[in-house]
Amino acid sequence: MEVEEQSIIALREFGCEQNLLSRPDGSASFVQGDSSVLAGVYGPAEVKVSKEIYDRATLEVVIQPKVGLPGVRERAREQCVRETCEAALLSFLHPRSSLSLVLQVIHDDGSLLSCCLNAACMALMDAGLPMGCLFCGVTCAIDPEGRIITDPTAQQEKNSRAVMTFAIDSAQHRVMMSSTKGSFSVNELQQCIAVSQRASEKIFQFYRDSVRRRYSKTL
Amino acid sequence: MQFPSFHVVHQNSMAAGFKTAEPLEYHRSFLKENCRPDGRELGEFRTTTLNIGSISTADGSALVKIGNTTVICGIKGELASPPADAPNKGYIVPNVDLPPLCSSRFRPGPPGEQAQAASQFIADVIESSEVVKREDICIEKGKLCWVLYCDIMCLDYDGNLLDASLIALLAALKNVQLPEVTINKETDLAEVNLQKKQHLNISKHPVGSSFAVFDDSIVIVDPTSEEESLSTSMMTVVTDEDDRLCTLHKPGGTSLSGEKLQDCISRAMTRHREVSKLMETVILSVKPQK
Amino acid sequence: MADCLKDKVGEVLLPGDVFSFESKPEKLICGPGLRRNGDEILVCKSGILRHKQPNMYWIDSQQRRYVPAKGESVIGIVTAKSGDVFKVDVGGSELASLSYLAFEGATKRNRPNVQVGDLVYSQFIIANKDMEPELVCIDSCGRANGMGVFGAGGLLFKVSLGLVRRLLAPQSEIVRDLEKMFPFEMVVGLNGRVWVKASSTQRALIVANLLESCENMTAQQRQALFRRVSDGAS
Repeated sequence: MEVEEQSIIALREFGCEQNLLSRPDGSASFVQGDSSVLAGVYGPAEVKVSKEIYDRATLEVVIQPKVGLPGVRERAREQCVRETCEAALLSFLHPRSSLSLVLQVIHDDGSLLSCCLNAACMALMDAGLPMGCLFCGVTCAIDPEGRIITDPTAQQEKNSRAVMTFAIDSAQHRVMMSSTKGSFSVNELQQCIAVSQRASEKIFQFYRDSVRRRYSKTL
Repeated sequence: MQFPSFHVVHQNSMAAGFKTAEPLEYHRSFLKENCRPDGRELGEFRTTTLNIGSISTADGSALVKIGNTTVICGIKGELASPPADAPNKGYIVPNVDLPPLCSSRFRPGPPGEQAQAASQFIADVIESSEVVKREDICIEKGKLCWVLYCDIMCLDYDGNLLDASLIALLAALKNVQLPEVTINKETDLAEVNLQKKQHLNISKHPVGSSFAVFDDSIVIVDPTSEEESLSTSMMTVVTDEDDRLCTLHKPGGTSLSGEKLQDCISRAMTRHREVSKLMETVILSVKPQK
Repeated sequence: MADCLKDKVGEVLLPGDVFSFESKPEKLICGPGLRRNGDEILVCKSGILRHKQPNMYWIDSQQRRYVPAKGESVIGIVTAKSGDVFKVDVGGSELASLSYLAFEGATKRNRPNVQVGDLVYSQFIIANKDMEPELVCIDSCGRANGMGVFGAGGLLFKVSLGLVRRLLAPQSEIVRDLEKMFPFEMVVGLNGRVWVKASSTQRALIVANLLESCENMTAQQRQALFRRVSDGAS
């Protein structure tokens, strides 16, 4: 798939801190520009009998919005994050136990779902849960002129005619999750996927740098 | 002569045992031969039937069956004042209900995650595809508009809920007849003329196709409930009549390459034509009776 | 294979990193955080790759949640007595069982004196993902060997699993630095629990706070802190 060279993958400034909460078994905060999400992971812990799965761990994801109570929109996002995490985690190594992931939205300035995914991945890694690969979230917006904007702000999302969020895996850089808004052509979709795959390499490098920074004191 | 029939019975019970003990292996052994336990090919949908106007008390309704999966959609119009931030728009409120009746996996009580995610999916498709423009259901700017309550209920759950719900919704929307409403300039009250009813203006026809991924590589269409629970990933592609994509919904699971994705999109486009044809024939067959 | 792994020893690795066999497979022992996947070695935890002669590799990660492993010694809290076994909380996903016969000198008549709420230092003899974990307070010769009920008048607290492993390492620098300040008793369980007893509550608290704070410190920072504290304490 051809991606014009001029469309340099521009991501906003990223920030990440792991292990910043004392109670959860793993925690991370992820900042993309002004969007910010805090994630906490508990587990593997005791599981309710009604939710027990005999051959793998039960994963629960909760997304808390900045204001108000979680609604149907959050439920749909939770489903996306949960199924993405389930595919990355080697949950068969902890059967009959529960993993819970809580994502607290600190501020929403666009690309929220991808920020949630990134925070979730860093928190799972911090908790030391076994994973087969990493994943990252990338949001692309197509503006009315047909240009692709990566990691858009809330304003850019509002002005665009289509917004797509993908989760890309680190092993083969393929699409694990996709959630779209607005209508678009097949060609536009393939371009956005190609752009997201290129952006994912940057994000995975960022992951590596921040984990390295975390372990720098014990090297 | 006794022996062969006995042999057949024996083999069936073996197969049933295999299916219960190793459901995934059972499916794999079929997929290896490019077919499925119910005799379908990998890219084949189950028989889809459509009935329009099934609920006489609703303003529009439709019943869809895809194999055993049965979904009914009823649409009720109510009058309300438009939202403050968009005074020239009406409301479309979809809701998907998965009652305990349709499958043992759903419990009574507040809607579960799957039902809520399905409702959100339908709402996203309505917004992305602009199946009915929200401006069209506004009667008087800033004063009066229609609220279309689209209640989608599953009567029998055997997989592929999203496709069935979308077809039911689209057919029901095409079936909606709303009375003419005018605002009396002197009294400032709404007057409803029940004699004069009008169809909605359907600007786009979104149709979905669902896929299930087995073992990270084999893609099948229109999964049954059993196939859904054994698959490693699900995906729904929604296209409209101009071959544009309205939604590419893949809530996680194992990853898929660009080529596989392209195959799914092409299959979704052929499915769109199949469903449009079905809908046309059903609508034509209903008309003469009136 | 061993070469490309050896090159990375001491470096930070992330889940999903893969090492594949170039030539014929060699004998290799994969410790925590590494998994053998066909002809490949897959990293499944983030952390630093460590190596021990001749061919042992593992990932040293800073985890907080304990996952029971056979042979590890832990500090458990007795939470219930049910029939012939005690249920012990070790911080894992389920309670471990501890038979009342698994104490030194215990017989059917001579039951050990264990109450709910007691701390026990014990060892896993069964710990895998499919079975209930089981603890014992005797070694293979039937001797207590330091295990059993303990903990009158001390202080129990939790630290990260990485810090616990650093404390238990032979010639641990942290322990050596701590010992210089004042005498105290310490029990360290691999499940992240540490029990400390000193001549006064104040001193026990000092040790607890120091351990918690030296989790994310370099050696120099730690020594500077310890010096400041011991100047103030004496």
